[in-house]
Amino acid sequence: MHPLANLARHGYLALALVVFLESIGLPVPAALALIAAGTAAVSHAIAARYALPLALGATLAGDLLLYLAGRLSGWWLLGVLCRVSLNPESCILKSAQRFHRRGKLTLVVAKFIPGINTMAPPMAGSMRMPFLRFLQYDLAGAVAYVGAYFAVGYAFAGVIDVVYRKTMGLTRAVEWLAVAALAAYILYRFLLYWKHRRADVAPRITVHALADLQRNEPQKILIGDVRSHGYYDRGAQRIAGSVRLEPSKLLVGEEQLPRDRELYLYCT
Amino acid sequence: MAQKLRDRGFNAFVIAGGLREWSKAGYPLEQVPEADIVLLPVFT
Repeated sequence: MHPLANLARHGYLALALVVFLESIGLPVPAALALIAAGTAAVSHAIAARYALPLALGATLAGDLLLYLAGRLSGWWLLGVLCRVSLNPESCILKSAQRFHRRGKLTLVVAKFIPGINTMAPPMAGSMRMPFLRFLQYDLAGAVAYVGAYFAVGYAFAGVIDVVYRKTMGLTRAVEWLAVAALAAYILYRFLLYWKHRRADVAPRITVHALADLQRNEPQKILIGDVRSHGYYDRGAQRIAGSVRLEPSKLLVGEEQLPRDRELYLYCT
Repeated sequence: MAQKLRDRGFNAFVIAGGLREWSKAGYPLEQVPEADIVLLPVFT
């Protein structure tokens, strides 16, 4: 179906939903939705005076949600976001330092950079950027993002429409290709998960059994805290008697670990 | 991580449920020592 027809049919709700979902980090094409909205505004399928504030509000709502999540969770959320990185520890440190240096500018341009757009608001929250300052820069970024893509759709409505009509035959094939790629990706993730489940995994111990060990044979064990996010806030707590084992240096500095003791690790 | 240590000859285990489960069961916690804290920059 033609994107303009889609927008006319599902209206402002679809636009707001797509923009909101993207701003909370889901991989949905908000930029395309905004371009389509701009194109639709030319033919009066939708009204710019409603679509623009709605898209802006949806963007801000998503960003505020992530900002509050960062604010409430401290460094935990950044730790989760950095988990996909090769080195979560340095990811957290470097991201925090860079954001502290260029935080305001980052918030303004973040929307245009995939990946950074999801990281910026929770980082602002984790780093305790004052709410009004965050709102100010995030609003500037949101206005630039929504306005730019909407304006592109509006200004090039004729071209976009012609391009779409000429490539309509390809659209179905591209859709099938996208579905096939998604299915292949899900299958790949499932196979990875299955492989890891089948592979040898380290044995687990319950907290009750560990507490008994700690009470009765403390000299035989070492409890290691390998969290990458638990050491960034004053007042953070850990298991009594445990020691910090930095995940990024654990395997490098293995000679410092006792081989005559059992190691019990936790990371949550 | 524990598995990698096991591969290198350590007798390593994973604590099921981690800190959350330990804390929920009411076992003792301690404050992270000041020397271990890595202070990340914050906006003031």
